[in-house]
Amino acid sequence: MNDKLLVETAVLAGEIMLISGAEIFRVEDTIDHILRKAGRNTAEAIVFSTGIFASLNDPSIEAITVARRVTVRNTNLNRVYLVNDVSRKLCADLMTVEEAFERLKEIRKTVQFHKRLKDMGYMGVAVFFTLLLGGNARDCMAAAVTGAVLAAAMEISQKIRLNDFCANAFCAFLIALTTLFLEKWGLSGIKSDIIIIGAIMPLVPGVIFTTAIRDTLNGDYASGTARIVEAVVIALAVAAGVGAGMGLYQWLAGGYFIW
Amino acid sequence: MVIQTVGAFFAVISFSLILELPKKYLVLSGTIGAVGWLLYLFVQAAAGSVIAAAFLSTLLVALFSHIAARVCKAPVTVFLVAGILPSVPGASIYRSVSYVISNDPVLSSHYLVETLQVSGAIAMAIFIMDSLFRLGKKK
Repeated sequence: MNDKLLVETAVLAGEIMLISGAEIFRVEDTIDHILRKAGRNTAEAIVFSTGIFASLNDPSIEAITVARRVTVRNTNLNRVYLVNDVSRKLCADLMTVEEAFERLKEIRKTVQFHKRLKDMGYMGVAVFFTLLLGGNARDCMAAAVTGAVLAAAMEISQKIRLNDFCANAFCAFLIALTTLFLEKWGLSGIKSDIIIIGAIMPLVPGVIFTTAIRDTLNGDYASGTARIVEAVVIALAVAAGVGAGMGLYQWLAGGYFIW
Repeated sequence: MVIQTVGAFFAVISFSLILELPKKYLVLSGTIGAVGWLLYLFVQAAAGSVIAAAFLSTLLVALFSHIAARVCKAPVTVFLVAGILPSVPGASIYRSVSYVISNDPVLSSHYLVETLQVSGAIAMAIFIMDSLFRLGKKK
């Protein structure tokens, strides 16, 4: 068996999973399983939220060690699922290492849903969350507008490569401003608070938080705390954005607030 | 309550689109989320506590996610992440900020504490289920 390719495959699988938002123990587990297929004495994998080290060693070969730095993060559960599937098949000998490597390269680029559909997703979250929190038809209409603004803001911040903190704050800012002005001019009497809550839901770091908890409680403290801090920073950005939006509205609307 | 549960179902599915959940599990994860939210509403009505509601509903969502993951041979995260979305304390974060803006530090810190408590409750619930399902499993 080609050890080098096996290590490459293992690290690639780990990299895709890590970028797509899998927990650390799952990434380590996957790499471990693939490396163990080589049947060498030592097969170790160390994974942090920012990088991967994998090593394969045996008296009969020269040690192979691969390090990979991971900077981007882009939640994509479909890729986690597909990589998991590949590693399962590889370990059950239903797939050769070469096939697995090719398949992983494909997986790295798979996108299931078109961008427009994801925009619909943002609108959907806003609308249905408003419904879930007890909004009526008018509230949902306003939420659809706010959701569309959110989707547009996301696209803009991606285009101008805004960093995460600023992007989240910017989106939250626009959400608050849009909703409050809708309440003032277009649809008076809508419940602006639940519409804002619904619209910021895609920004609130629920996924990172969940992963952080599972990492921490699995004993991966370095990654767990890193992700908890990430979640706190995002939550602060969203709070700052909403706060700024409401403050600006208050100032523009003449210094009084009706809640 | 029915409308809210339907809302939860579609909210979770919309969120799943953003997270790129595998297509064939969209409906399943939406159902898990909706059932979780139904329990949340019941507990909130019965006990009057957001924290207990978040804890129990997350416990249920985590249980279903683990079962679904084993049946479908897919990672637990796939179902868990979208399912707990409705209980995530977005509302508490928002209220905390909005009371800062309207100069009410008492209510603001009340909601800040609530945010932390709800997050903690969700974390505990996920942890308990994880531990239960790992019992007796060899490394």
